[in-house]
Amino acid sequence: MTDSTNSPKMADLTLSEGFGIGYNSLLAEVPEEIRLQNGTHFLLARNGRGKTTLLKTLSGLLAKRRGGYRTTGRCQFVGDDLSFDRELSARLVFGSLIPRKRRKDALAMAAKLELDVRKPFRKLSFGNRKKVGLVVAEFRLRDDEPNIIFYDEPFTGLDTPARETVRQRWEETREDVLRVVSCHPDFDAMSMPKALLISDGKIFRAGDGTRTWADLKNLLN
Amino acid sequence: MDPFRLTLTTLFARKSWVLVFLLAVALPIVLPYFTPWEANTKLLQPARAQTTWTVTWLAGVLWTLSQAARFGDNNSRTGIGAYFRSQGCGPLKQIFGIWSAVMLFLLPVVACAVVVCLAFAMPADSGEASMWIVTNLQFAVLFLLTIGPLALLGVGLASRFGSLIGYIVPASLCLYGLYGVDYLGMTVKMRDNPALEWVYALSPQYRLADLTPRLIFKMGHLPATDFLIYLLYFTMVTFVVGAAATLFFRTEPLRN
Repeated sequence: MTDSTNSPKMADLTLSEGFGIGYNSLLAEVPEEIRLQNGTHFLLARNGRGKTTLLKTLSGLLAKRRGGYRTTGRCQFVGDDLSFDRELSARLVFGSLIPRKRRKDALAMAAKLELDVRKPFRKLSFGNRKKVGLVVAEFRLRDDEPNIIFYDEPFTGLDTPARETVRQRWEETREDVLRVVSCHPDFDAMSMPKALLISDGKIFRAGDGTRTWADLKNLLN
Repeated sequence: MDPFRLTLTTLFARKSWVLVFLLAVALPIVLPYFTPWEANTKLLQPARAQTTWTVTWLAGVLWTLSQAARFGDNNSRTGIGAYFRSQGCGPLKQIFGIWSAVMLFLLPVVACAVVVCLAFAMPADSGEASMWIVTNLQFAVLFLLTIGPLALLGVGLASRFGSLIGYIVPASLCLYGLYGVDYLGMTVKMRDNPALEWVYALSPQYRLADLTPRLIFKMGHLPATDFLIYLLYFTMVTFVVGAAATLFFRTEPLRN
C-alpha cells in the first residue's frame, strides 16, 4: 500500500492493535494493526460475528470496547435497514440529500441500476429500495475532504447486473473514496482484491488481490 | 440541514398539509353559518373567532403532534438517524432539524387563523379593533409556545418508544393542560390535599395560552405585564419539555 496521506482526498482508517468491538461483551478484536486507505475493502464474516458492530463502531455510532481506531475523512454509514418515507420517490430523496451539481449523475446511475425514480418508496421492491440508499451515499461525497463509506450488506436483494453496476462505480472512484463493504460470502465467483475478515473473535486482513470469495470463505469460522 | 430538508420534502410529498390548510381557511368561514346567527348577527364574529382558534388547536394537536411523532419514529427506525449521525449530524441537530420543518408547516395555519380573525371577524369599533389585533397576535405567540415544545417532545419520545407513545403523551399533556388542569384546580380548592396541590403546581397550565374567551367576550388583550409573565412561564415550560425531549431523543431504535 502506498502511503499518500498527504493527499487531500486520501482517507485513512487505522484499527490499532487491541482494538475491540462488542455490545455488552467483547465480540472481536484486532490482533495486529490494520491500516486502510482509498479503495474498496470487503468485510467478510459469518452471521453474528460482528460485521455490523464493527462498521457502526468505526462510524462512531457505537462505543468501542477497548483499544482505539482512527478515521481521517468524512464518514457515511449506510445500514442494511436504511429506508425513506413511504411517500417519497427516489427523485425527491435525491433532491433533498444530494447536492444540486451531482443530481444529474445520481439520476444517471439510478437509470443504470434500473431504478424507477418516480415511484414512491413504498412501491419499490426490496432491491430497489437498497439502490436508493446506495445512490444517495455515492453522490454525497465531499470534493474538499477525504471520504469514507461504510456499507452494511449493500448487495442483499440486488441482482447481478445491479451489483456489477455498483462495482463498476466503485472501481471508477476507487482513488477518491475509502469503502468498507460488509458482505455475506455468498458470491463465490466475485474477485476479492482486499478483504477484512472476522473469524474466531479476531479481525484481520486477508487476500492479496488474486483470490475470490470462495477462497476466503474457507478462512471463516 | 439534511434532516430539516428531508423532513420538509417528506411533509410536502405527503400532501396532508393541503387538507389541513384548506380546513383552517374554510371551516372558520363556513361553520358559523350553521348556527342560528340570523337571530343576532353580532354573534357571527365571535363565533368565527372561536371556530378559527378551535380549528387551529385541532390542527396543532391532531396534525402537528402526529407528524412530529411519525418523523421521530421514522428517523430512528429507518436508519436515517444513524446515517446522519455517522456524518457528524448529532442528535441535537437532528431533533431540531425535524422539529423546525414540522413547525414550519404549522406557521401558515397559525398565520391563517390570525388573518381570518382580522379579515372576517374584526369588530367595527376602532378601539375594539386594535385590541382584537393585539389579542390575536398574543394568542398566536402563546399557541406556538404551547404546541412547539410538545411537538419537540413528540419527536423525542417517538424516536425512543415509537410513534404511538410519541403522539399520545404530548397530546394528552396538551389536553390536560388545556382542560384537565381546570378541574384539578377546582378539586384542589374544595379539598385540602397537599399532594394534589403539588400536582396542580407542577402541571403545565396550557389553559393560559387559550385566549378564546377573551375573543368571544371581547375582554380585550392581555395587559403587557400579564403577557410577559405568561411568556416567561411558557419559556420555562419550553426549557423543561425541550430538555426532556432532547434526553429522550435517539438516532437509532432502543434495541440497538
